[in-house]
Amino acid sequence: VTRNRPEPMAISEAELTSMTRELHDAHESSFGGVRATLAEFADNLGEARRAALSRRGLLMGGGGIAAAAALAACGASSTALTGATSVSASSSAYTGDLKVVALAAAMENLAITAYDGALKAAGAGTLGTVPPAIATFITTARKQHSDHADAWNGVLSKASLPIITGAPLTVTDSTMAALGKATTVTDVAKLALSLEMSAAATYTFATANVKDAGGIMTAATIQPVEAMHAAILNFVLGQYPVPVSFIGTDTAVKLDALTR
Amino acid sequence: VERNIDVGQLRELMSQSQDLHSDAMKLGVRALDDYVDAAQQARVENSGRHRAPVTIGDRRRGFVVPAIIAGAAGAAVLGTARAAFAGATTDIQALQTAASLENLAVATYRTALTLPFVGGDAANPVVKKFATMTMAQHTEHGTAFNAAITKLGGRTQSNPDPRYAPVVTAAVPTIQGPGDVVGLAITLEDVAAQTYVKNVGIVSTAELRSLFASVAGVEAQHKSILLAVQALLTANAADLIALPPVLTKLPAAAGSVGIPDSFYPTDKASPVSEGAVQ
Repeated sequence: VTRNRPEPMAISEAELTSMTRELHDAHESSFGGVRATLAEFADNLGEARRAALSRRGLLMGGGGIAAAAALAACGASSTALTGATSVSASSSAYTGDLKVVALAAAMENLAITAYDGALKAAGAGTLGTVPPAIATFITTARKQHSDHADAWNGVLSKASLPIITGAPLTVTDSTMAALGKATTVTDVAKLALSLEMSAAATYTFATANVKDAGGIMTAATIQPVEAMHAAILNFVLGQYPVPVSFIGTDTAVKLDALTR
Repeated sequence: VERNIDVGQLRELMSQSQDLHSDAMKLGVRALDDYVDAAQQARVENSGRHRAPVTIGDRRRGFVVPAIIAGAAGAAVLGTARAAFAGATTDIQALQTAASLENLAVATYRTALTLPFVGGDAANPVVKKFATMTMAQHTEHGTAFNAAITKLGGRTQSNPDPRYAPVVTAAVPTIQGPGDVVGLAITLEDVAAQTYVKNVGIVSTAELRSLFASVAGVEAQHKSILLAVQALLTANAADLIALPPVLTKLPAAAGSVGIPDSFYPTDKASPVSEGAVQ
């Protein structure tokens, strides 16, 4: 990723790499529990969705169009996200908790796309010399966002809904445009920090507004990870790494930001 | 001593951080207040002493109000209240355990700051500032948790977590350098974060879930920075612990050592009753 040879390091890379490997092993051992939670979450949502579709089919068959519309609206508005546009007014295939899942997948995909763009720019020399630690951070954070996206898309897939590819969000174009204008590592870090803080806030919000227990716990286990990304990015930018005592929801991505 | 940092810049950052922190603190307290109001209303209802319609205070905004104002206001509040009452015992225990973990963290950082290589002239200024700021944040977490306990009619928790306090007590005399302190702090931060993540799935109301999540992320951030600091200390590179950091001198692994998990684990979470007041 670097164009120029980095300065000699005063510390043992092998020792730090060993520590990282130990942490990676710990991560793998905790991943199993998350998979089980996700599987249960997906089963619950899939069953609920199939039941809703079945009820709707019966109503439509009986000529109860108005009742079906009312049922759909009721189901769609079951997840009352603060400040978000009513889901019931949307023609989206994703409703209730599944709307939050789709939003989360899109948000993770945006982070992946942004980090990919940063790596590409770094490879092209657009950002100048990229320190090895920054390249490693981007690669690691990208992988973790990919794990998150896979988890959320796995839920959608089990619910027989289309998975979220790309980042169908109202903020995607402006985010990528900003990345395109980045000329330094600092520019990229600022943009990444904004994305990570929004992600952490969105998951804080999700813990309070998702109804399924598995979905709540999945959001709860991802939120600290995004917060940790933000802490490292703050440090990289020379800012105090833990600036607040409570991670709020002010910068959460709203439901109506999902365009699919 | 403060060769690695622009002290004026750091002070300005700390000031900005405090402003942000204060805003977020209000948010956390508001979430607690919403929850406490709901739980108190439930107690009134269940006691049969008061059947007056529920009213919403003007200060209720953000987490709860939109759903309530959107119609069926009374039902929404009463539903929240009943759920809160049903889980009140567990919720109070979770808050007490959380307060006990915060009390232990505060005590540990306070002790650490008495050590010359953490809070004295020999300390790395970034480590010293981090310990000071983190102790203050844990103090605020503990204050918030205890305030909620009081409003719910429970007994506040002023003692440290009974499981980990002896661990800290035993470890303190063996501390020989900043690396030992950082290792101990990582353990406490991780246990707190894991406990709060797990509590998100245990407590009875959306407001309390949100609160525990909002604190869990902060403890995880503490752990993240401590892991990075630990790695540099272990590699005898304390001079690289600086703000802003000299990015070009940091080893590649420094970019990943602070973010070890894709999903935050909960296997070390304290049981909800571990720090409950007996």
